[in-house]
Amino acid sequence: MNRLCMLAVTTALALLPQMATAAEKTLTVGVSDALSGGGAVYGEPQRRAINLAIEQINAGGGVHVGEDTYKLKTIEYDDKADPTEATNVARKLIDRDGVKFLMGYCCSASTGAVASIIGREDVIMLVGTAGARAITAAGNDNVFRTRPPGDYSGAAAGRFIASKGVKRLGVLATRDVALFTQYRDALIEAFEAEGGEVVALETFGGQDRDMSAQLTKLRGLEPDGYFISGYVEQVAFAYRQAYELGITAPRYGFSGGSAEQFLSVASSEALEGVWDLIAIEFNADALGDTAKAYAKAYEERWDAYPTPNSAFAYDQVYVLRDALEAAGTVELDDVKKALRNLAVPEETVLEYLPVDGKMFDPKGQAYISNGAFQFHNDKWDFVTKLPSDSAAYSAYFQTITK
Amino acid sequence: MLVDLIQQLFNGLVIGSIYTLVALGLTIIFGILGIAHFAHGSVAMFGGYLTFFFIQQFGIGLFPAMAVAMAVGALLGVVLERVAYHPVRNAPPINAFIIALGLTLIIEKANLLVFGVDQVIIPTGFDRVFNIGGVTLPELRVYILGIAAFLVVAMTILINRTWMGMAVRAVAQNRPAAILMGINVNTVSMFVFGLSSALGVAAGVLVGALFAVAPGVSGGLVVKGFAVLILGGLGSIPGAIIGGLVLGVSEAFASAFVSSAYKDVIAFLLMIGVLLIKPEGLMRRRSNR
Amino acid sequence: MIRLVLIAAVAFGGIAFPYLLTSNYFIHLAILAIIWMIVAQGANVIQGYTGYVSIAQAGFMGIGAYSSALLNLNAGWPVWICMIVSPLITAAASLIAGYPSLRVKGHYFAIVTLALNMVIFIVLVNWIPVTGGEGGIAGIPAPESIRIADIEISFLSRVNYYYLVLAALGLVMLIIAALLRSRVGLVLQAIRQNETMAEAAGVACWRYKLFSFVFSASLAGFAGSLYAHYMSFLSPAPFSVDHSLNAILAVILGGSGTLAGPLVGAGLTVALPEILRIADSYRLIIYGVGLVIVVIFLPRGLVPWLSDLVRRAVRGRTGKPTEGR
Repeated sequence: MNRLCMLAVTTALALLPQMATAAEKTLTVGVSDALSGGGAVYGEPQRRAINLAIEQINAGGGVHVGEDTYKLKTIEYDDKADPTEATNVARKLIDRDGVKFLMGYCCSASTGAVASIIGREDVIMLVGTAGARAITAAGNDNVFRTRPPGDYSGAAAGRFIASKGVKRLGVLATRDVALFTQYRDALIEAFEAEGGEVVALETFGGQDRDMSAQLTKLRGLEPDGYFISGYVEQVAFAYRQAYELGITAPRYGFSGGSAEQFLSVASSEALEGVWDLIAIEFNADALGDTAKAYAKAYEERWDAYPTPNSAFAYDQVYVLRDALEAAGTVELDDVKKALRNLAVPEETVLEYLPVDGKMFDPKGQAYISNGAFQFHNDKWDFVTKLPSDSAAYSAYFQTITK
Repeated sequence: MLVDLIQQLFNGLVIGSIYTLVALGLTIIFGILGIAHFAHGSVAMFGGYLTFFFIQQFGIGLFPAMAVAMAVGALLGVVLERVAYHPVRNAPPINAFIIALGLTLIIEKANLLVFGVDQVIIPTGFDRVFNIGGVTLPELRVYILGIAAFLVVAMTILINRTWMGMAVRAVAQNRPAAILMGINVNTVSMFVFGLSSALGVAAGVLVGALFAVAPGVSGGLVVKGFAVLILGGLGSIPGAIIGGLVLGVSEAFASAFVSSAYKDVIAFLLMIGVLLIKPEGLMRRRSNR
Repeated sequence: MIRLVLIAAVAFGGIAFPYLLTSNYFIHLAILAIIWMIVAQGANVIQGYTGYVSIAQAGFMGIGAYSSALLNLNAGWPVWICMIVSPLITAAASLIAGYPSLRVKGHYFAIVTLALNMVIFIVLVNWIPVTGGEGGIAGIPAPESIRIADIEISFLSRVNYYYLVLAALGLVMLIIAALLRSRVGLVLQAIRQNETMAEAAGVACWRYKLFSFVFSASLAGFAGSLYAHYMSFLSPAPFSVDHSLNAILAVILGGSGTLAGPLVGAGLTVALPEILRIADSYRLIIYGVGLVIVVIFLPRGLVPWLSDLVRRAVRGRTGKPTEGR
């Protein structure tokens, strides 16, 4: 009896706001991201960027879907960048919270796990920074991703390192996060195709902060360039320890991450001259005015400068808004169709390279240009764009499944 | 090649000296009270966070901050002994074991709540690097070796040369006899927990300066500590010192010459090897336990 | 009498559960809870009845889960066969690991098994060509559907999988109950009470201890297989030391050395995080405090405490002692 009463009261309470504004509906999106642990340097900024975009859209009158106007809101969970935790979060969002649109997804392993089961579910999943190829290559029709796969950038980076005159490359990389291994393999292949030699491939695990032993071993082989890739914190430790070991050869890397994130681990001397070869994520110098406006809004809202990867998540929200408005309904099949035919939304921060005039290719994958950044005087300087052909890559991408 | 070898040896000794500090704390607790104090790693991390907090908030130097944190850590150790372990001192050992697990959860998550999820790196300002014939010796790592050595010597003196230390050794050797001789076992227990926690905090600070204080670090630390204990013999002080260094160096060599992926397995293989050949540990004589 | 009624009530509740709570999410939780109950029953054999704490149960669960998934995906064996073979593989692994580990007692044994779990975990993470590393293995199929009198039962359905794990749990409990009444079971309990005495009575204790260790590991392996084919995705995370500790916690909380204890304990360890969801950040602290309090004040666990309470209440009312247990 008591429970019935409670139920009645809570239902009434839940209905109240909706009755007050009958014409206005609420659309809940589920956010699954790494909000703690090593992945949080990507996940938390994504969460903030999503909230920023949602607040902007709501303040601008919401999303106009057919006759209705929707306000957006989020339910957020910490997936700790862990695959099992992320599948649990997906279960909660889908089964318990009844969410139809999933967002966030910063990290390869966790996102890959969710992507492997999401094909059977009645939801649409928008993936951000997670770069493992299989997430979209598997070909689920309800997965869309703003970040290009790792190997798309890796090949461009390999050619760039060779063009800098490096002949013997020492590689230190995260052992098994798909984004990094795929990038690394594509880089090594392109580098060797240009006549370079990889002297050794050393690896580190997800919890390691001490790479001294591996770096000492590489140092003994006397390469004339180093390539170091992995999540920001670990790569920063590797640069710090490389400096402690007196390594002075050019250091190229792939991790993404803001100057602040790097400087919290390693000194500016240790970082001076280090390269980051990545898809051009948010960068106010490399991308024009929308990016500057985004940085300003983000700083006002969160009291921190946006990290480079945060824009992948920010753009997701505008992608969803445009797709909903184009579909004129919240029916998933129509929204999926609208996403497939979507032009790049006006408000997006990143410089997307549309394939056949559409933002997403048939597998739901978007592309942006690649670039080289160098650490100088405590910040990342944009140096140059790396030649990259999204149409050619996309054609190849349609032929693979993992 | 020789340069690399010496470099790896140095790397290994630095890490090994930290293992030694962790293991010393664990081993005296085990020797006196027979408790596998799993929460030790979390206490160490707590001390690391605290040191960082003192440096940030009050602008005091590394060493004063570390000293205060060690004192607070010692106090925390005493409280843990009184509140959690003391009530189960006469129950089967498995109960103390479960208590240790519970404490680990509590302290670990309390750290998370109080200090946040971000990793914290204790600033030291020791950024110079010495180069001797190609072997690079970062200033910070040299100091870590020095601090660890100092603490080990100080503790040895405390145990071997003071009245309290004698009481501790007496209880370890023969508890009933020690009680009959009028030694207050309660005081000894509290003293041991305080001393051990202070050492743990020191290890936590060194880890925080060299790498980072972060969620998830403590578990690895305490497991390495127990691996050292098995290597050196549970309850043995020289065993903890030698075992720690052996473990650190063999990890460094393993990742240089075998595989960096399996360097942690090396520790456990060593441990299992020791169990098969000499179950009482490298540094202990066979006893009739 | 009370006992029989209780058992019947619990069994009935288990069977009716999917009709009482129709939310998919609750059935999902119930499946996980039952899988953990099987692990906890295994842990109880070595911990509760033999008196040796093994911190490797989650690791063995991992061996069962991965071997079952890999045999199915790479060797093409039917899932049903994998579910039978994977506990045997786990048993073989635990036999090799158990021999050196059981040379030591008490805390030594606990620490060695903890190290063992870490080794298993490191191998799962680093043996990338086989296990897929931290990225894990995706696309593990559910058991093949079976056909009974024209009705096809598919285990992609969550309710059907629920009944599968429930039946598995029932089977496991029958086996354990039979084991406890056998000579072997009596010897195990003798070892817990006084190993030296048992040894003196001419029992080759190490054989029984090894049996107990291997048996509990193979139950964990069986649970792992059920887990793998339910989740359809595997990564190393659920097989870490933390989860071994969870299994120990379940046994202690429920009451070690009782058949019902692990059920209650494992149920609680799955349900509590959901109930305490509001206070998510405090959850593990509450857990930890609960653990310490239970050990200090209810060292025998919830089930023995509750049954004492019930017994006392019954005796108080009828004024005469109840028969037996």
